[in-house]
Amino acid sequence: MKPMLSTDLNAADTTVEKAKIEVKNLNFYYGQSKALKDINLSLPERSVTAFIGPSGCGKSTLLRVLNRIYELYPKQSAEGQVLLDGKNILDRSQDLNLLRTKIGMVFQKPTPFPMSIYENIAFGVRLYEKISKAEMDGRVEQALKRAALWNEVKDKLNASGLSLSGGQQQRLCIARTVAVKPEVILLDEPASALDPLSTAKIEELIDELQADYTIVIVTHNMQQAARVSRQTAFMYLGELVEFDRTEKIFTSPREKRTQDYITGRFG
Amino acid sequence: MSTAQSLHQSRKRKNGVMMTLCVVAAGIGLAWLALILGALLYKGLSGVSLSVFTEMTPPPGDAGGLLNAIYGSIVMTIIGIFVGTPIGVLAGTYMAEYGRFSKLTTVVRFINDILLSAPSIIIGLFVYELMVRPMGHFSAIAGAVALSILVIPVVVRTTEDMLNLVPNALREAGTAIGAPRWVVIRSVAYRAALSGIVTGILLAIARISGETAPLLFTALNNQFWSSNLNAPMASLPVTIFQFALSPYEEWQQLAWTGALIITLTVLGLSIIARSLTGRREDR
Repeated sequence: MKPMLSTDLNAADTTVEKAKIEVKNLNFYYGQSKALKDINLSLPERSVTAFIGPSGCGKSTLLRVLNRIYELYPKQSAEGQVLLDGKNILDRSQDLNLLRTKIGMVFQKPTPFPMSIYENIAFGVRLYEKISKAEMDGRVEQALKRAALWNEVKDKLNASGLSLSGGQQQRLCIARTVAVKPEVILLDEPASALDPLSTAKIEELIDELQADYTIVIVTHNMQQAARVSRQTAFMYLGELVEFDRTEKIFTSPREKRTQDYITGRFG
Repeated sequence: MSTAQSLHQSRKRKNGVMMTLCVVAAGIGLAWLALILGALLYKGLSGVSLSVFTEMTPPPGDAGGLLNAIYGSIVMTIIGIFVGTPIGVLAGTYMAEYGRFSKLTTVVRFINDILLSAPSIIIGLFVYELMVRPMGHFSAIAGAVALSILVIPVVVRTTEDMLNLVPNALREAGTAIGAPRWVVIRSVAYRAALSGIVTGILLAIARISGETAPLLFTALNNQFWSSNLNAPMASLPVTIFQFALSPYEEWQQLAWTGALIITLTVLGLSIIARSLTGRREDR
């Protein structure tokens, strides 16, 4: 791969839209093994970017670098730069908790906290804001409406978050993430554990959320990437093979490996 | 008969033999338990009366109750739990959360497992040397300390195990929303593991409420009512030990009754512990 390729594309992209996150020369290691190799890309503000590629290609790893959640585990390290609004978040001085309030994340399996639906949302808000009960009620309602869940749960806000169905739980997780007013939302295969109907709801939701948030989604499902994203990054074996507008990736990819993958020849 | 058929027949025979052995073994194990419970109920129930809970342990040949022994057991168990539980829960939290990947955790877990299976009489001797000898006399507080040392490894083990069962995804979710580590542990991990941790504490109570050896060396016994923590104190197990070995009929009867009370208490705690764990699994 010509190393300058993706950077060139980024340059073209950034002339159109302001970059929210810029990844520069990023390498990532699990112990000794290198999982990401010299990644360069820039994610435009208020739009959906998809990371696709076969299992083990590093797409989830890349996502987990963006909010530094990998730091929960020893022996994982990143080098290079990840600029959020021009500021390097990989810097040691970066406060991790504050970073994560700005960059929210939703996981593959729904992960409601073991508390009520209301508390699931209030929990995150309460961490950084002191607001009255009435204001909190408003915030919870607003977040649940944003996640298209309000009508289904408004009469049982005190029920356990675990009592909801899988699709509802996932929307609760999105509501919880939205409630703390992040700037970026990272979605790690958010619909892969859900049925088609719930998946459709999540996708609709992503489409609405991009008006206000910068969204990055990792997905195994190429149709999903094609449906929801504006830009798509194709990764393979820890490298960023190609990054372009989604239509371009799916109709006339520049790289042969991309074409082979999206046409189902491997992966 | 074809080979396949004869192989099938011989497998069936072996299966029959093994199953019979297993059923017999299970039956023998259960029979002892049933016999013990039956004997306790038969011998103990007849002695249960209000005076057991209102009168002190009697001198030989007199009627009396077990009030001072029951009181002593409850007091020392409560103090033991209150001292041992926080240490155990915090140590378990370190091992499962902060130090999950640390070498120290492996060492602590190993030592804790040894402590878990250490004979309780050794704990009694240890506290005897540590507290009873310097203080110059037996005391309830020394008994409570010995019991708390028995509580710690049980609670450490269950706390660590239960926190390890909390999916990492839940911790990641808490972290991803911007919660500092201790908030994730307190509000997410503890909450998810709560019933398991409580079960561990209940099991620890069940364990220490029947311990005799560590109390013989520390709290000793007391024929009279005493609520002074700095003096010897009666307890059910030690009283049972003393009364059961005595030649006096009234004492022997009280020993049976005391044994029944302990057994039913432990049984009750185990049932509560079981139903708490069961509820967690249902969810």
